Amino acid sequence: MGEEQNEKEYVLSILARNNPGVLLRISGLFSRRCYNILSIVACQTEDTDYSRILIVVSGDDRIIRQVDKQVSKLVDVEKVTVLQPDKAVIREHLLLKVSRTPQTSEKLVEIANVFHAKILDVEPDSMILELTGDAAAINSFIELANPYGVLQILRTGAMAMEK
Amino acid sequence: MLLTGAQIIMECLLEQNVDTVFGYPGGAVLNIYDALYEYRNRIHHIRTAHEQGAAHAADGYARSTGKAGVCIATSGPGATNLVTGIATAYMDSVPVVAITGNVTVDLLGLDSFQEVDITGITMPITKHNFLVKNIEDLADTLRQAFQIAQSGRPGPVLVDIPKDVTAKKYEYYKQEPLPFFPVPHPAETDLQHAVEMLKNSRKPFLYLGGGVTASGAAREAAAFAEKLDAPVSASLMAQGAFDAHNSRYMGMLGMHGTKTSAEAIKNCDLFVAVGTRFSDRVLCNAGLFARNCPILQIDIDAAEFNKNIDVDLRLEGDARQVISILLPQLPQQSHPQWMEQIHSWKKQYPLTQTAKAGVLPKDLLETLDRLTDSNAILTTEVGQHQMWTAQFYQFRRPRQFLTSGGLGTMGYGLGAAIGAQAANPEKYVINVAGDGGLHMNCNELSTLANYHLPVVELLFNNSVLGMVRQWQKLFYGSRFSQTTLDTNTDFCKLAEAFGVKAYRIRAKEEIEPVLQKALALREPVLVDCWVDKDVNVLPMVPSGSSVEDPMLKM
Repeated sequence: MGEEQNEKEYVLSILARNNPGVLLRISGLFSRRCYNILSIVACQTEDTDYSRILIVVSGDDRIIRQVDKQVSKLVDVEKVTVLQPDKAVIREHLLLKVSRTPQTSEKLVEIANVFHAKILDVEPDSMILELTGDAAAINSFIELANPYGVLQILRTGAMAMEK
Repeated sequence: MLLTGAQIIMECLLEQNVDTVFGYPGGAVLNIYDALYEYRNRIHHIRTAHEQGAAHAADGYARSTGKAGVCIATSGPGATNLVTGIATAYMDSVPVVAITGNVTVDLLGLDSFQEVDITGITMPITKHNFLVKNIEDLADTLRQAFQIAQSGRPGPVLVDIPKDVTAKKYEYYKQEPLPFFPVPHPAETDLQHAVEMLKNSRKPFLYLGGGVTASGAAREAAAFAEKLDAPVSASLMAQGAFDAHNSRYMGMLGMHGTKTSAEAIKNCDLFVAVGTRFSDRVLCNAGLFARNCPILQIDIDAAEFNKNIDVDLRLEGDARQVISILLPQLPQQSHPQWMEQIHSWKKQYPLTQTAKAGVLPKDLLETLDRLTDSNAILTTEVGQHQMWTAQFYQFRRPRQFLTSGGLGTMGYGLGAAIGAQAANPEKYVINVAGDGGLHMNCNELSTLANYHLPVVELLFNNSVLGMVRQWQKLFYGSRFSQTTLDTNTDFCKLAEAFGVKAYRIRAKEEIEPVLQKALALREPVLVDCWVDKDVNVLPMVPSGSSVEDPMLKM
């Protein structure tokens, strides 16, 4: 998260040709230009020749004005969109493994229900929960699970789609 | 027709009208060199002493002609030796196509002999690069490489080709070169806004960068200066983009710019920047640059707007096209007072130089300028001699001054001179070098001799790394840490050992006769000029200071 007050977060949606090394070209550009990647999601699209790469970047106005121009210059990049949060659906996906005891189980199931999280696996001393939601929902879910002993967290970056 | 991969490479080079390539043979490019032997009557190959020289030669070929330069190297160390040359071309936006061999496809990724991931290594220093694993993709990839290298803002492209791909056979059909990618056009409202800004200015400053040369906009820029009735300054990369003999010309702007340029930027009411990226060497202190006037920037690369400095109006497009659109919309302007002020600054602040001993770089360059009628192609290494060349040689036209501006590569000049001379056999090509830079790549003197390239290696020999020494004098209490060079090298003997003639200039009266003799030779020659080690490059804007306040003395 940006520490400076003028730092903001933006979601870049990049459509790129599915050539070898394309993710390296994009992430390498971010590192050498000193742009800060908060999360990155790469996936195939409806057209198998293309990948969609979603990057949450933090930076001041100057970096934000630059970053899409620099990424657009990559030969394999077809289109770069800076998503406006109010004009896009932004979701993250969380897998969370938490300790359980007979005493805490009920509480954890209750939290899961409040968030519409799925229980994917239950073991004698732990359980795995799955949640999809925006960053705020996922953050508060983790916060509520924390007192019970979170063992492992897997969290994707932002998946985002323009409305 | 059915051709081997290596033959397809040759045919693709011919499609692009490539007549000369620079390189060095090796295991992974044996097939390519076998094809070069077969095609030797159509593609001239110059073997440099080191792959770095080949990369710089391809760059010099490209900068002096505007066509893409081509270099070839083998896998592993051959490829890594190109890296400095590719990075040099990248920083200065030079269209170079580098072809490297690699181990066979089945040996890729196994740490095989002379294997290196050159596409990974060169990713940050190429516009794009390719690894061709299938012969079906070879011809189209090479065509794309030339298209990318030369389209829009030019730059280097590397094509890595495993050895077995050059041996396999595949059907080849000749094709026309791919058209360049379309260039952006500024919006009509922005153009109108620009015309208003230009019309309302009483004291405009026209600043030209390397993009003017790249887009072939020198003539349009000259007409623009007339129409705007503006003084003109050019970046290091744009030397020659505006005729230095023109009375509007103020010299460079920036760290070693003229006092006239500094006064002009302090007093102007509009700064018009064409084809330039506002390098930190020009801005000096970005916060204090042109702070009292609006900036209008014309550039083909959208990423260059508001990168190093915020501008008030941007016109995204090819410099030549944008100026051509603006010219007919702009009525003839007249700023006699402003121009008179410029001329009086020029009189008041001429570039001067003094020395305790030896010959003055200024005298050497002014004599060279006179003897070659300001028409030679000059290459340089990096340092004091580079700045002096830009200051004192009166370049007339673009593509006359080849220098490593962005990367600042010592060892660039001699390789670049090889490429420039190969492309321009009738012209005088002179590499102005310091003894530090010559020590780095002096092996390429042998290339001059091997190919009878009549380059004049004009050595400013002061036995020190002069530019670093100058900084040590200013900022490090004259503690000359590692900048006093070994003075044992007899550069004349060194040149002669390579088969290059050599002369020496030790006093002012020797300058003209010796330079005349060297130029008349029309064969490779080194001129060892003994220059005082304490001549400084002035004016100079110390780091952190405003471009408006250059030191005139130190």
